[in-house]
Parts: sequence; C-alpha cells; structure tokens
Amino acid sequence: MQKQLEKIRKAVVEGEDLEAASLVEEALTAGFPPLEILNRGVVAGIDETGKRWKANEYFLPEVILAADAFKAAMGPLEPKLKEGEQGGKGAHKLVIGVVQGDMHDLGISLVIALLQSAGFEIIDLGIDVSLDSFISAVKEHRPVALGLGAYMTTTMLRMKEIIGELERQGLRDNLKVMVGGAPTSQEFADEIGADIWGKDAIMAREKALALIGG
Amino acid sequence: MANANLQIIHGILYGKGLRLGKLSPLGQVMATMVGKHGDYVPFMGPQIHDHAMTVAGVPARKFYWDPELLVSTQMAVQRWYGFDSYTVISDAYNTEVEALGAKMIYSDNAMPTVNTSVPLIKERSDLDRLGSLDVTAARIPVAVELCRLITERIKGPFGIGFFCSPFSLLCNAMGYPRAVRALMRDKAYARELFDYAENEVIFPFLKAQAQAGVKSSVGPDAWSAFPNLTPDLVEEWVVPSAKRLAERGKKELKMSVSAGTAACDYCEEDPAKFDKEMMFRCWDVASGLSFLKIAFSGMGRTQDWDMRWLQEYALSRGKGGKLPIFASLNSRFVRDSNPAQLVDKIREWIGIMGRDGRLLFFIGSVPADTPPANVHMAVRAVHTLGRYPIAKDLSAIRVELPSFQPFDRWLKGQPEEDVIMKAREQ
Repeated sequence: MQKQLEKIRKAVVEGEDLEAASLVEEALTAGFPPLEILNRGVVAGIDETGKRWKANEYFLPEVILAADAFKAAMGPLEPKLKEGEQGGKGAHKLVIGVVQGDMHDLGISLVIALLQSAGFEIIDLGIDVSLDSFISAVKEHRPVALGLGAYMTTTMLRMKEIIGELERQGLRDNLKVMVGGAPTSQEFADEIGADIWGKDAIMAREKALALIGG
Repeated sequence: MANANLQIIHGILYGKGLRLGKLSPLGQVMATMVGKHGDYVPFMGPQIHDHAMTVAGVPARKFYWDPELLVSTQMAVQRWYGFDSYTVISDAYNTEVEALGAKMIYSDNAMPTVNTSVPLIKERSDLDRLGSLDVTAARIPVAVELCRLITERIKGPFGIGFFCSPFSLLCNAMGYPRAVRALMRDKAYARELFDYAENEVIFPFLKAQAQAGVKSSVGPDAWSAFPNLTPDLVEEWVVPSAKRLAERGKKELKMSVSAGTAACDYCEEDPAKFDKEMMFRCWDVASGLSFLKIAFSGMGRTQDWDMRWLQEYALSRGKGGKLPIFASLNSRFVRDSNPAQLVDKIREWIGIMGRDGRLLFFIGSVPADTPPANVHMAVRAVHTLGRYPIAKDLSAIRVELPSFQPFDRWLKGQPEEDVIMKAREQ
C-alpha cells in the first residue's frame, strides 16, 4: 500500500493530474481506505508542494499544476470519503468568496484547493459576491471562518464593509475572518479588523490549520 | 524653458557635467538617467490612473472612455503631487481582450476588469472563432487616441503608447492556470497561442497606433513577473516573443515596440524567501527586455528588500559605471505607512543608492485609496533628502509634512480644470 500512496504523493507534487486521478482509482479498486489515500497520498503531496514553495524550489506554475493534480485526485476520492463521513467533512466549515465588483478567481481557486486539502468543508460563493450573500451564507452555514478575497485596490475596500455588517448583525463573535489578495497587506487586515491575512495560498492554509488547532 | 525637447537636452548636458542654468523637473530626470545626477534625486510619475480618478472625483464610466479626460486628470494629479515626470496609462491589460469579446465588469468607481471565470479561449478552436482584432471594436479607438495624446503631450522616454504583452493577454483571455499549463504541458499549443496573440491581436493594435503617429509603444506584462513565471519560462517564451514583436514593429511599422515590461519583476512577497541569486537572475532577464538599460525594482515588496543588493547589481552591470536605478516604493507600503515610516525608508535608500548618483524614485503603482498626504510626503522626502551633494548624516535632516492645497483649490486655473469639472457634472 505504501508504494501506491507514494506514487500518488509524487503525482500530486509533480502536477500530473491524469496520473494522480488514475492512481487514486487504482488504490480505491485495490481496497485501500479512502482516508489513508487522502492523508498519506493526496494531502502528503500538497504538503510537499508547500514545503518546496517555501524553500524556493517551486514557484507559482508548479503550485498551479500541483493544485490541478490535487483536484483531479479528489474526483474519485470525494464520493468515497462522503460515504464514510470521513475527511473532516462537516467539522470545520469555511465560507469563502471574492468581493463584489471583483472577478479575479486565480487566488481563490488555489486557496480553496489547499484548504480542502487541510480538511475544511468549503462553501464557495465564487466571485463578485455581494455583502448580502456573504451575510446570508454566514447565517446559514455558521462557519468557523469567512474568507474574503479582493484583487483590486478599489474592491478591497468592501471587505471592511462586510466585517462591519457582521459586527452589526452580531455574527462576528465566533467567526474568524481571513482576508487575502494582491493589494491586501497585514496592515490593511489589521486596519479593517480581520483576524488573519493570507499572504499566499500556502500561508492561508497554514494559518487556517492553526485556527482549528491542526 | 517650456519646450520639452529642450528640457531633455538641457538635462542630458547637465548630467554630463555642463551645469548651466536652472534645470526643469524633466531635466532632473534626464540628467540622472543619462548623466550622473541633477540637483536632487528625481521622483518619477507612477502608474496612477485609479488613484488620479479618485482624487479628481471623476466617474470611472467616463474616465476610462474619454482619452482627453484620462490624460488631463493624470497629468493634473501628478503635477499636484510634484512628480518630476509624467506616466500616463490606462487599464492597459484589458483593451485588446475586451475588443475580442471578453466578459467584462464595469463599475462606477474602478477600472474595467476582465471576468476570467468566463474565459474567451478555452481550446484551440476558439482562436479561429475569435479571429483577428477589429481595431474599430470596443475601446480600441479610445486607446489609440489615448496613445496619440500621450505621445503628443508627454515628450521624452515617457511619451509612449501601450499594449498588453502576449502572455498577460493570454492570461486575461484564458485565465492564468490554463495559460501556464499550456507553457508547461503543451508547447505546440502554447506556440499557437503566442502566435495568435502577437500576430492577430497585438500587431493590428500596434498598426493602428502607428497610423495615428505613435512612434514607440510598450507592453506591460505583470503576469510574467516572478514568481508567476520563473526566469527560465520567461526566457523560453516571453523573450523570444518580445524580440519577434520588436523586429516586426521596426520593419513594418517603423515603430519601437517593447513587450514584456515587468516580466521577471521580482515580486516574491515573503521576506524569508528573498533570494539574492534569483533577484540578480530576474533583473538580468528583465534588463534584456527593457527599452531602457536600468536596474529596476517594480511592484515587489521592496520595503523589505536589502537595497544594497540593487546598488551592487547596478554597479556590477554598469560597465565601469552604474546603471540608473529606478527604485520603487511598494504601493501598499505607501498607502499603509505613516509619514515617519515613509521618510525613514527613503532616508535609508538614499543613503545606500543615492550618494553616487543615478538614483530615481517612483511608486510601484498608487492604489485608489492611498492618502494623498502620504504621496506628498514621499515626494517631499525624496527631494529634501536627495539634494546633491547628499548629506553625510541624513539622520540630521528633518523632513516636515509639506503643506499642500486640497486638489480642488489647486486645480483652479490649471489647464485641466475645465475638462475635469465638466466630467464631474456628467
């Protein structure tokens, strides 16, 4: 089993999406436990990608390909995990979206892939999300965290409005707010009252894991 | 000396040692770029369109469709701040893909933006479907007129047209993941994509610019910045593409075409990962693409850089002298800092890179919500601390926040007043 899981891990690290999916299918057919495939194969691959990113061995193109491979590997795996209620599903919900007026989806798609690999159940509101939609989603799903992305200096200002509205409606106390995107900074996150600033997708994953004691 | 060409010549001679007469701001820039230095370290106009629009209070739906308003507003705001040269540009990454039919989002207070979640190019066959750029479509005529106006109003190296460089254009047309996947996994497809971007989209746009009298055009390429692309990928794809466009522009349009601007710009965000060797490699590749031979920091997190590296690079590549350094204050740093932090950073940089001349400042780009006092403070600090000869003890020089008139009061009587006021009424 270890050999097969190592192959899956390697396929994710090297961004081989088709191979990763096929190896996962093989492992499932061979009867490997889905949670083992997830943790020791797929997630191990993303962990290794993160390490290489931090060590300046990987850059954005390699991370993109690894995230693709992760998504491909999750294709056959996800239904099996759901069947067994495994993989942390339901334990830690995280609502995420790009603020209204902003259509940039690269950052958020990477963050979602990496947060999924950390075991979060993601409620993805997509791009160009209105303040009301964020508030409704928080009320409906009661997540542990809300992720807000903005990639323009003009749209990032909406993050402050959203945090203000959460406070006004009494939704802020048990909710951590994560912000990220090219024009944001730690200073900006502090200024608008966010709890976490994710400098990049890898860091967002690390900080989100710390949030739940992972 | 109102004539810009004479100011440029005056600056060049002044910088070379013929220090006669009072140098204009543009002359200070030229003296530093071509010679050693002028009277002080110049502060060049940055990319400022969204911020200028916000300061001037003009609506986005008018600003980005009206070349006269776009040029006038940016020139007025840059003069209000006291920059030594102008940089005028529009939302340069959008023009071509918008005209090809990309789904856009328009708003009242921000530049148009491409919705890459609805990609224009999903597969090979889309290239045939899209065909060549129609230079009468969408805002292409606006952009051509804008390039003409910039060339007419801003003389010297900054009076240039613009286009979106091939890789960034492809990222806007198909999304970065698809584009980068093609470069790394399907080289034949990637070649087709570059060929399409260069010949069917960018070249017709450049031809329209040339017909309007534009002699020189640059192509921003922020999607090719590091770490979006590695220097190896830039050398494999961006550099040859830029050469092809430059050769074709020169041969067929008699035009100077410089694609790949900002490719390999070192934009690593994590100070713990800053890597001197990689920085030098990025600067070497970027330098090969630039129409100016300079040492350049662009949009990166420069407030955390060790600027001795940039100084060392400028000296090592200067062939017996020193390359001019274009040192950029990071846009978020300028927006989020207090005036004292800005002054401290500028003091540090001038101490490291300014003493032997050939240093010019600018801001990576100015975010819409940047407090104007911060920009005024940065300009004042550079002009005060950067006065030649540079003081031995820069810490002894105090820089006070300059008193400045509110923009509206300052605007009264300026040549741009009517254009800006009318746009507000509409």
